[in-house]
Amino acid sequence: MKLKIFFLLIIIYSAFTIAQQHNITGSVSDSSGNKLSNANVIIVEMDKGASTNEEGYFEIRNLQKGVFKLKISMVGYKTEVFDVEIAEQSVHVDVILEKEAVETEQVIITANKYEQDVSELPVSAAVISTEKLLRKNFTNLEDAMRYVPGVSMTSYQISIRGSSGYSRGAGTRVLLAYDGIPFYTGDTGEIIWESIPVTQLERVEVIKGASSSLYGSAAIGGVVNVVTKKVSDTPTTYFRSLVGIWDEPHYSEWKWADNLRLFNSLTLSHSRKIGDLGIAAAFSRIEDMSYKQSGFYHRYIGYLKAEYDFTESSSAILFFNSLNQKSGNFIYWKDSRNALIPPDQDQGQTVTTNRQMLGMIFKQIINRNFFINFRGSYYRSDWQDQTESANSAITHLIRGEVQFNNLLSDKIFLISGIESSLSSVTSDIFGNPTSFGFGTYVQSEFKFNFPLIATLGLRYDITKIDTLELESAISPKLGLNYKINEKFIMRSSLAFGFRAPTLAETFTSTTASGITIKPNPKLKPENNFTFEVGLLYKPFSELNLDVSVFQNEFYDFIEPGVDRTDGLIFFDNVVRARIQGAEVNLLTKLFDEKLIVSVSHTYLWSRDIEKKKSLKYRPRNFSLISADYLLRNLLIGTDFKFWSKVEEIDFDLIDLGLVPDGENRVAVYVLDLRASYNLVAAGLPLRINLNANNVLNYNYVELIGNLAPIRNFSLSLELFL
Amino acid sequence: MKSLLPIILLSVFLFSCGEGIAPEPIKQTGFSGSVTFVGDWPLGVTRTHIVVFKDPLLTAGDFNAFNLKFVSVEIPYGSTVFNYNSADTAVVPIGEGEFSYVAVAQQKTLNVSLNRKDWFVVGVYYAGGDTTKPGKLTIPQNTLVRGININCDFNNPPIQPPGG
Repeated sequence: MKLKIFFLLIIIYSAFTIAQQHNITGSVSDSSGNKLSNANVIIVEMDKGASTNEEGYFEIRNLQKGVFKLKISMVGYKTEVFDVEIAEQSVHVDVILEKEAVETEQVIITANKYEQDVSELPVSAAVISTEKLLRKNFTNLEDAMRYVPGVSMTSYQISIRGSSGYSRGAGTRVLLAYDGIPFYTGDTGEIIWESIPVTQLERVEVIKGASSSLYGSAAIGGVVNVVTKKVSDTPTTYFRSLVGIWDEPHYSEWKWADNLRLFNSLTLSHSRKIGDLGIAAAFSRIEDMSYKQSGFYHRYIGYLKAEYDFTESSSAILFFNSLNQKSGNFIYWKDSRNALIPPDQDQGQTVTTNRQMLGMIFKQIINRNFFINFRGSYYRSDWQDQTESANSAITHLIRGEVQFNNLLSDKIFLISGIESSLSSVTSDIFGNPTSFGFGTYVQSEFKFNFPLIATLGLRYDITKIDTLELESAISPKLGLNYKINEKFIMRSSLAFGFRAPTLAETFTSTTASGITIKPNPKLKPENNFTFEVGLLYKPFSELNLDVSVFQNEFYDFIEPGVDRTDGLIFFDNVVRARIQGAEVNLLTKLFDEKLIVSVSHTYLWSRDIEKKKSLKYRPRNFSLISADYLLRNLLIGTDFKFWSKVEEIDFDLIDLGLVPDGENRVAVYVLDLRASYNLVAAGLPLRINLNANNVLNYNYVELIGNLAPIRNFSLSLELFL
Repeated sequence: MKSLLPIILLSVFLFSCGEGIAPEPIKQTGFSGSVTFVGDWPLGVTRTHIVVFKDPLLTAGDFNAFNLKFVSVEIPYGSTVFNYNSADTAVVPIGEGEFSYVAVAQQKTLNVSLNRKDWFVVGVYYAGGDTTKPGKLTIPQNTLVRGININCDFNNPPIQPPGG
């Protein structure tokens, strides 16, 4: 195999400067001289940076004199770190990045709340690039999560390595963060995937394993952090138009509509800088007639991001995100002969949702070894069911966090912080409860010479949920990353996590689709202890093998169940659970890197220790195979997904006759095909993406009584101006 | 040929996956009959259903969702005769088996409740004209049992199960 030649040219020369204000400017290109856009450039000590524009140019303004560690990274290229000295004048740096045969040096910020290479982490992690989201014609991040190794989805609920089953409208064990700001609803504690504007993301980071020691409650099963794009230095406009069609159902019995079932979306965004103010704005309209009756939705997503440098040492980022949606309300099918229509009594039901999130990140650099981040957010959520029960809720959730970042020496980095949240709900389904949370954390990373990176962390949380007793939790963590040699990197982590019950789990009182849920004001927080050992093996540059084994012990697991004295559903601390498993990820590049193949397999042995049976909605085996072949400007690819048949489901709902034929479930085999043609090389700022999903039109369910998406075709056009 | 082998193997594997979930055959298992109402309907009734319980209602606790094996669609208020077939009038469908208690019950609460005290039985199915005890209903597999008729006399209600 031909060895790649490494280039790193740093040309430093003088530039005109404004008194007391020094800048680092530069360009980033690959070894062929192509300018690289969206490369990440940061000053490590200050966590301050920029991304390159379409011409590969970047600029970091308002710097004092000194020596700075500059880190330049981009998916698919080897990360470069080097010192840059600012003496009397501004500095210009031209960098050539070496193309990385195997994508191991991806940058991640979520694991320890500052930027690190994935290979330096003590825990398993995955990074999804926006490029892949867009090529697959995703309009909802939820769809992308189905293609992350170790992640399974049951309807819209995420489970990382088996952390969650399914409990509709009542919380998650995975924290979704928006540039580090927790983003879940104050009432149901749920992730609203459809709020996320996928075209505005730089990447999505997934941490597999308990992360409560930094993120507190809700991160008990892991974290998904969406990192938004930095504002472009030059005016940039982006337009995306997508149209798609659902195929006919496989069986004539399932056909319920005479017209074509279509879906479409339009996105327009613009990003530019005006002096020290950077603004990015985007608007999306997404419509889906759906392959299911009452599965339709009309969705509008608004997004605004403003970046401003107040002084050379202080800056702020302001976010605004809004979702307006009207959708049908398909809960379960009528029966397997009517798999795409809801029961008669549910037909015509709709849900209207309005959600707005306002977030702010303020950074104050005290000196080159110490800076402070403040993250604040306000999240308003308003939804109404146009159903028999006519439920509605308005929730206000306010969060604030101060994080102190201290580089004590070249080898010790200390972060600490305090965080608080307050939510209040006005509803006819949960009552009018409030909840309050407070947490404080400290974590230190030690870099030894051997080379070993050790991470020690501790977090203390208190939670007060309305009338429930005040609860507290301590979440310690220990992580090790040991580079055995150039081919082997070993990692290990041990962490405790906790999760406070959501207001929905505690206070829900409603009836929907014949299912009555009653409150349980005696709910307690659930706890877990997770352990992982992983090994990254790179025998040569075109092969990357990652193997990990993990164990997750849950105590006082909150699960929905049926009270057999009255037949009503309620949430209870009922399960002492254990999840053990292994995950293997293989990535290889062949034929001069034109063919990229990734294969992953996860084995999960989940069980309820007391009842001695599997946990609900956890497939024992799930695999992903992905292949991409680049033929000049045409990229063709395929994804194959396999899940073994889920052993345990909501049998109680079937026994109660609420989900006829609900026991029908099978192993999952889904094959997707895709092709993208890039016309930028031909002088047109255009990319065309064609996708055929579930091409075998295989019929399966993730959740009982819910047929998963049938075969569909979509075409998108992306215009870069 | 060697390069085609993976494609052939993959094709065989994919097409051996089958089509996944399929519609269940039409179920003929169930029962049918008519419900006759005598007298004036009580005021304030919010819903009326045919209900079937698996085990006898010997205690108030036997009136629970797990013992409840069939619930018909609502019988319209003021009806005099209601002809039904469990296959197309079910909110909770029924399968094969032996069932101890078949009745028509009414409720006056605004929302659906499964509390025993919220229900009032207005008619009970009696087998073979024996009105001294509730009649058993036996449904063999793939059989529609006909003639499960219930008389509801509002002026002469049946003995109420425990807990009412």
